[in-house]
Amino acid sequence: MTLLPEALEPTIGVDAMALDVAVNAADEIVPMWKQRLKIFAHNKLALASVAYLILITAACFLVPILHPTNQTNQALNLTVRWNAPPSAHHWLGTDSAGFDELGRIFYGGEYSLTLGVLAGMITIVVGTLYGMVAGFAGGVVDGFMMRILDAFLSIPYLFLLIALITLFSRSTTFLIIIIGVTGWWGNARIIRGDALLIRQLEYTQAATAMGASRWHIIRRHVFPNSISNIVTTGTFAVADAILALSALGFLGLGIQTPQTDWGTMLQNGTTQISNGFWWEIYPLATVFILVIVAINYIGDAMRDAFEVRLLER
Amino acid sequence: MFAYVLRRLVQAFFVLMIVMLVTFTLPYLQPDGILAPAYAVLGTHSSPANVAHWGLQNGMDHPYWVRFWNYVVQVFVHFNLGHSYKQNLSVWGIISLYVPRTIWLATSSLFLTIVIAIPLGIFQASRRNSTVDYAATGTAFILYGMPLFLLCMLSLQAFAFSWPHLPAQPPSGVAPWAMFTDPVGFILPVMCLTLAGVAALSRYMRGTVLEVLVQDYVRTARAKGCSNKRVLMRHAFRNAMGPIVTILGLYLPGLLGGALIVESVFNYSGLGIQTVNAATNLDIPTVLGITLLVSILTMMGNLLADIMLGVVNPRIRIEGSAK
Repeated sequence: MTLLPEALEPTIGVDAMALDVAVNAADEIVPMWKQRLKIFAHNKLALASVAYLILITAACFLVPILHPTNQTNQALNLTVRWNAPPSAHHWLGTDSAGFDELGRIFYGGEYSLTLGVLAGMITIVVGTLYGMVAGFAGGVVDGFMMRILDAFLSIPYLFLLIALITLFSRSTTFLIIIIGVTGWWGNARIIRGDALLIRQLEYTQAATAMGASRWHIIRRHVFPNSISNIVTTGTFAVADAILALSALGFLGLGIQTPQTDWGTMLQNGTTQISNGFWWEIYPLATVFILVIVAINYIGDAMRDAFEVRLLER
Repeated sequence: MFAYVLRRLVQAFFVLMIVMLVTFTLPYLQPDGILAPAYAVLGTHSSPANVAHWGLQNGMDHPYWVRFWNYVVQVFVHFNLGHSYKQNLSVWGIISLYVPRTIWLATSSLFLTIVIAIPLGIFQASRRNSTVDYAATGTAFILYGMPLFLLCMLSLQAFAFSWPHLPAQPPSGVAPWAMFTDPVGFILPVMCLTLAGVAALSRYMRGTVLEVLVQDYVRTARAKGCSNKRVLMRHAFRNAMGPIVTILGLYLPGLLGGALIVESVFNYSGLGIQTVNAATNLDIPTVLGITLLVSILTMMGNLLADIMLGVVNPRIRIEGSAK
């Protein structure tokens, strides 16, 4: 459940082994990204998370093509037994509308994952631009831009999403845009903090003194130095977008039938728990929770890999 | 200190105006225009004449800026949030009915979250990378990855139906004191909201305490021969309080969003359900009123958190009063 803006994600310390890797790597001249990759690869759980995400993503996009099941034609389902338990034909049974549950997990995953990634990308781009401009402009402009952020941060995220969706549109495209556009406030704060810090550093001031344009400084100095925060907050943004979509699915505002997403499926499944139709809820719940956990874990591991300050300790 | 609070209040007023402007403008941008609520109130097949009449009654004939100005005057001069389109109640009437219920739910959960998450964070940080730490982090991760409604539904099934020892929903009357007269019904909703809060906060608590534990003054304290308990309580905890108080202030809107989910699962008619109903019925004055109130509450919470920050951290207090 996303209760906090990503601004507040904790930093986790790097363990001693990872430190050794970095120190050894410093002896030879190894490109920066290779050092980072080594630290990241040292984290076995993070590697497992990456493997799991690749597996699930591949399954969501390939299984419906390789082994197509009926996921959209409800008329065809009149001949199928609804809420059927797992069998040789339907490995995870059928749901309350007669759709094959296993196929539907992958089918819904296509929507959830695509939406999460696209909304996350909108979040990164908008949040980074806004934060950099605010942090770099400083003064009155920064104050004004931050007050706008405060205004948005003071409205509960979920309330705003619901209001926007009911007022405007329930199309999938609009969902992506709206989840992305309402998700960047925390990111913008972090990036602004970075920009404020970096523009005071000596090399940035030296560049300014040499006549570099603001845009050049943002591009050459501020952006590369805040890349770790951009990437990690972006990772968390993907998880948060998927969770936000699932909360909307619970309220009936998710992806509309016959298409579906994991949140809507979980909501349908939870109404069947009391009937004992476990196959409609627990397999999907496991897949879903592990996806969110994996994304968050990768985010943490990447921060550890990027966080130079932690290495110095 | 006084100057600081005054400056913050001026900022808060400015932020409030932005919130008002945004929430007031949004309904204008919808495809059906500003008369869309007329169809929600009068029915989808109402005649154009009726719709136009309704528009006239509700001042829709004025230009946008005039209407916004009227609304601002109405709120800040007459302290009147308007009348609901859909229910025969003033917006303030709706708020005073339902806000106390949500406030009880949210504050009791917030209290429990603080009481659980802070000691847990300190404990985890002090036993870093131990089995207990991993177990707690793992549980928090799973709870964090679980949509709140799923957590609610699963615990509802577990404790109200499979092992039926707790009531499935809190008392449904609108009495604001139900939390004290009939507390058993609130165990499940408060538990779910608290678990979600602890999952969201405990990782942060752990990280914050860890950052403090590597500081020089902690090493000095240990070198002086302080007991582990004293180091944690006197040095680590007090220095970690700053970020923790800040985060609690920022956690408030998330808490209300969580309360919305918990309210709808446990059929507890509070602010969240009212907002969703008002939004789906295009009851714009109600949505505006509740949004305003919620952002005022959030900003008060943040201000309170920052003042508390001054209390727990004298360095900030001095800096704040100097400005």
